[in-house]
Amino acid sequence: MSNHLIAVTVNGEYEQVEVPSQMTLLQMLRDKLALTGTKNGCNAGECGSCTVLLDGEPVNSCMVLAVECQGASIVTVEGLAQDGVLDPVQQTILEHGGVQCGFCTPGILISARALLDRNPNPSEDDIHESLVGNLCRCTGYLRIVDAVKDAASRQAEVAA
Amino acid sequence: MATPTLTKKVPHPVGDSVPRVDAYEKVIGAAQFADDLQFGPGLLYARIKRSHLPHALIKKIDASKALALPGVKAVVTGKDFSGFLGLYLQDRNIFCRDRVRYVGDPVAGVAAISEQIAEQALDLIEVEYEPLPGVFDPEYGASPEAPLLHPDLGKYEVANFIFPEPGTNIANHFRIRKGDIEAAWSQCAAIVERTYRIPHVQHVPIEPHVATAQVDDQGKVTLWGSSQSPFAQRYLIAKALGMSQSDVRVIAPFVGGGFGSKAGVSMEALAVAIATKTRGRPVKLRLTREEEFYTAFVRQGVVTHFKMGCDQDGNLLAMENRFYWDGGAYTEYGVNMTRASGYSSSGPYDVPNVKTDSYCVYTNHPVGGPMRGFGMPEMHVGLEQCIDELAHAIEMDPVQFRKINCVQGGDTLVTGMTMHPTGLSECLAKTAEAIGWGRKDPPSAPNKRRGKGIALMWKAPAMPPNAGSSAKVAMNEDGTVTVSVGGQEIGQGSFTVAAQLAAGALGVPIESVRVIKRLDTDSSPYEWQTVASRLTWSMGNAVVAAAQDARQQILEVVAKAWDENPDDLDIIEGKVISYKTEESISLKNIAIYGIPMPGDQGWVGGPILGRGNFMPTYVTGLDPETGQGPRAVVHYTTGAQAVEVEVDMDTGKVEIIRGAAAFDVGKAINPDMVKAQIEGGFVQGLSTALFEGMQLKEGVLQNPSFVDYRIATSTDVPRDIKAIIVEVGQDDGPWGARGVGEHSMVPTIPAVANAIYDAIGIRVGAPPYSSEKVYLAMLDAGLVE
Amino acid sequence: MAIDAHPELPEFDYFRPATLMDASRFLAQHPAEARPLSGGTDIFVRMRDGFWHDKYLVDVKNIDGVSELRFDPTSGLSLGAGVNMNRVIASPQVQEHYPLLAEACRTVASYQLRTRATVVGNICNASPAGDTIGACLAYGGILNIHGVDGFRQAPLASFFLGPGKTILQPGDIATTVHFPLPPAGSAGTYIKLGRNTWSDLSIVGLTALGYPDPAAVSGYRFRIVLASVAPTPLVAATAQDYLEDTPPSPQAFKQAAILAQEACNPIDDVRGSARYLRAIVPTLTEKALNKVYKLMENRG
Repeated sequence: MSNHLIAVTVNGEYEQVEVPSQMTLLQMLRDKLALTGTKNGCNAGECGSCTVLLDGEPVNSCMVLAVECQGASIVTVEGLAQDGVLDPVQQTILEHGGVQCGFCTPGILISARALLDRNPNPSEDDIHESLVGNLCRCTGYLRIVDAVKDAASRQAEVAA
Repeated sequence: MATPTLTKKVPHPVGDSVPRVDAYEKVIGAAQFADDLQFGPGLLYARIKRSHLPHALIKKIDASKALALPGVKAVVTGKDFSGFLGLYLQDRNIFCRDRVRYVGDPVAGVAAISEQIAEQALDLIEVEYEPLPGVFDPEYGASPEAPLLHPDLGKYEVANFIFPEPGTNIANHFRIRKGDIEAAWSQCAAIVERTYRIPHVQHVPIEPHVATAQVDDQGKVTLWGSSQSPFAQRYLIAKALGMSQSDVRVIAPFVGGGFGSKAGVSMEALAVAIATKTRGRPVKLRLTREEEFYTAFVRQGVVTHFKMGCDQDGNLLAMENRFYWDGGAYTEYGVNMTRASGYSSSGPYDVPNVKTDSYCVYTNHPVGGPMRGFGMPEMHVGLEQCIDELAHAIEMDPVQFRKINCVQGGDTLVTGMTMHPTGLSECLAKTAEAIGWGRKDPPSAPNKRRGKGIALMWKAPAMPPNAGSSAKVAMNEDGTVTVSVGGQEIGQGSFTVAAQLAAGALGVPIESVRVIKRLDTDSSPYEWQTVASRLTWSMGNAVVAAAQDARQQILEVVAKAWDENPDDLDIIEGKVISYKTEESISLKNIAIYGIPMPGDQGWVGGPILGRGNFMPTYVTGLDPETGQGPRAVVHYTTGAQAVEVEVDMDTGKVEIIRGAAAFDVGKAINPDMVKAQIEGGFVQGLSTALFEGMQLKEGVLQNPSFVDYRIATSTDVPRDIKAIIVEVGQDDGPWGARGVGEHSMVPTIPAVANAIYDAIGIRVGAPPYSSEKVYLAMLDAGLVE
Repeated sequence: MAIDAHPELPEFDYFRPATLMDASRFLAQHPAEARPLSGGTDIFVRMRDGFWHDKYLVDVKNIDGVSELRFDPTSGLSLGAGVNMNRVIASPQVQEHYPLLAEACRTVASYQLRTRATVVGNICNASPAGDTIGACLAYGGILNIHGVDGFRQAPLASFFLGPGKTILQPGDIATTVHFPLPPAGSAGTYIKLGRNTWSDLSIVGLTALGYPDPAAVSGYRFRIVLASVAPTPLVAATAQDYLEDTPPSPQAFKQAAILAQEACNPIDDVRGSARYLRAIVPTLTEKALNKVYKLMENRG
């Protein structure tokens, strides 16, 4: 079976896509669905710039076949903001100056979003654990870590 | 020409930490990078056939089977392209013609309907090589025994400030002869002589190189790419193809990290060359991360020999340096690092007697290109450690030693240039204080040792003497301002700085300013390159000039309409106001439609378009024998960096506990962004200090991926990094500003090395200071068993 | 990765068999051309590198209960081949009864990769650097393998033959790894030295597990496994035997560490030289043993 017709939900939208067996989830998002926010930095599961949520969990989309995603729900950076309102992780990374060239940013935002979904009150170690697979060459990371901490407390305020 | 802005009051938002103008689109994933651009179903994909040998003659290439593969649309080789590429020395063909000179050298290119098919076609291209002996060490390469890698060196076109030695592998030999070095040694109370071998490293931008090229039926080229230098690429590619600059159009969207790797031309010409054969169909070439490591520009390795001496009071008297730069297969760009390190070879110190020989040597290694610091990080590794050793030799504190010797305004520099005012002493003092110099805190565990180290740095923008900038400031009906520049946003914040400078010089709020965020050589104003930490200063001057030009035009229009003197008018917060009558009028509409004369008696004004440029006019040549000349460079940015480390005695692992750094930026246009550069550069420096090194074995890269070329992750960064801004204005910078983008990674390696020495009493040598290197050094020294 | 790694995965066919027997038969019919696919994190990298050229990837992640994590208070823990490492780390039963396994999993790569990577996959990949293999050996893991002749069991202790080589035959699919209940009072640790502070492959990895055993002369047994110092994950048998006979003490641990060092057979590679690995193994082994002993004392 070299071509597969799969059904996936991407950022809340139902999609039917024909994909060859060897097409990665990253390629499907970028080349078939024109969702170019997710980036290809290494194609080897090392840099994290291709990170997306697959059924709520962060994965390197370059290390997942599109066909393995049949029936799954995927969230990319384009799906974080709702109705023009930024997700707290987006808002705080802006405010803390944690964006420079911006290429690693989509993957970082997804990793951060996933962390706060599973752990609304993360320690700094928890934040590092969630981000160690996201390489950044520009910022030096500190502002990103601060931003994630800040996003956690803002979410907590809203929830309270 | 910009009005000197140094003495005027600093208008908002200049000096304010305004939010970046490009960050919003980046966090929502809308910012387009070169691989995100869509070209429709006609797009072809290219792959490159590369040499697997470091040095060989090409005997034969047979591409017939590749051409026959269904889906392949074109195959090109070097025989179709005889032109040369090169920024400072034209030594590189687009595709190899008669020989290959490094593993990865492009031999043929394929365009096909998919990347998959193009890749398959590579295996069908048959290349017959005759291997040649290789050169893998620059000192050997410079010796008469080494085979000649560029027999035609004497025929290459070369900039008049680069001095190749034809008949050898020396692509550039830069000399400094200042004072009387032989006499000086006899007066030294202490002399240190050391050699440091600095390995190659790679820029590792998270976005790999990508270029899409299209050639129309008249031969006109359009190139979309991840590029720091659209205008330089236009120039170089046009030259190599025998075209005129205006026949090549380069379009450059956001860059996902450059650090110099996307300056000049590296892989872009390959895409253009292939596109000349695809009958108008665009061709996209992307580097894999592996190709990024070994075929894109790398930071040259270098063997640095230092000898320096001071008198008994700690005054530096003499420095003798020999640098053998491992330039790689082509040194078209790397020759200038040789020069730049030469004219800065005293380090940021006042040294009366200096003898330097800086050689750029061809080797069969990856191509050396510009990387953040442009020779300064590599040079400072050994230089700043020798300074520490001299201080120790006369039992003087290393901070005190630097205080005595660090360069100050008015000093005669190593090239004979007079140093401008600089805050280096202030940087040193503040950095030493911030790191708690002189205080030794206890280690965090019994098996650890703590130490502190400090290093100074300096760097001048390395460029031709006439590197220029220009800018446009256009008004819109709604009162907003559109700023157009040729300088690229590579993450450093240049678009934001442009917006701030325009807003400040014009008199409008920052919210009114739009910067055109996609460069296009057809419509953007010329900018030499986005390198050398030159944009805030040079592009900034052009932006200020353009904004002032627009401002002047507006004031003249309103003055005419109001029958007033333009000198009595001003623009504040987007309104023209009269100091005399206190009348005011918004820029809305009038900046395009003009102002009606009273009584319906006509109009005055018209669409306001400000223009400005800046080009330094005072840089002089240097004597080829002595390196002396009135003005070698435009200016120096200086700074200091200190770290505290802990060494694990069980494993040799070095942990950076905290860092502090101060840089004299003249005037921080956006203080928060300056701090972000200081932090980011520190981490990139720390990464090169602890982890990075390209492991080359007989010309083959052993670690061409993130698996074994490690860079710093969030867990490797100390929590406490103090970024300190010092401001001693630059006479011809916008409100005194000069650049800082590169400088923050220059002193990091020696600061770490000096700290390791403070911790364990051992100089580990050349970086990276991996746990293995440190541990084995301790083992060999008998510190552990 | 190799310098001529391809930009994309090569062409192959993918399918999901309905049953394990379908999978085993297909794999046996296409030896050297078909491979079972679980997390994929090792397979895709090698295919892009050109080292593996399989024409078929057979997805076994979700068939026949292979994605279950089951704990039974008498028989122990069963991890299916489809259970990703993050699930292992998060499992309360693993944290309580097999904390060493969770600790080892946490050192692997990144959170994103651990969403796909599996312990069974780590075992079958058989890298001498495999981070979780030491814990699996220390806990006495037994693999359930389904082949063309049905199920069989294979103790991990005899599973590894060389770097990337195991006893698995064409048609074999490792479906679960089973760990008996750890002995009462056991404690373990995994000390991993990488280049970065976290993440990274191991330059050297030290797994140590200890438990009180009245049948041992010393009153204790230790299991010591070293990663990245031999062609396979290395059980330091001589050191283990020594500690079975010698009562625990800093001196005994020092001596055991030297015996562990003597068992090592490291090579020079891009990650580290043999000289360095040999030099730091004793210190890390000693550190691990002391730590384990202290953990046992705190429990008991």
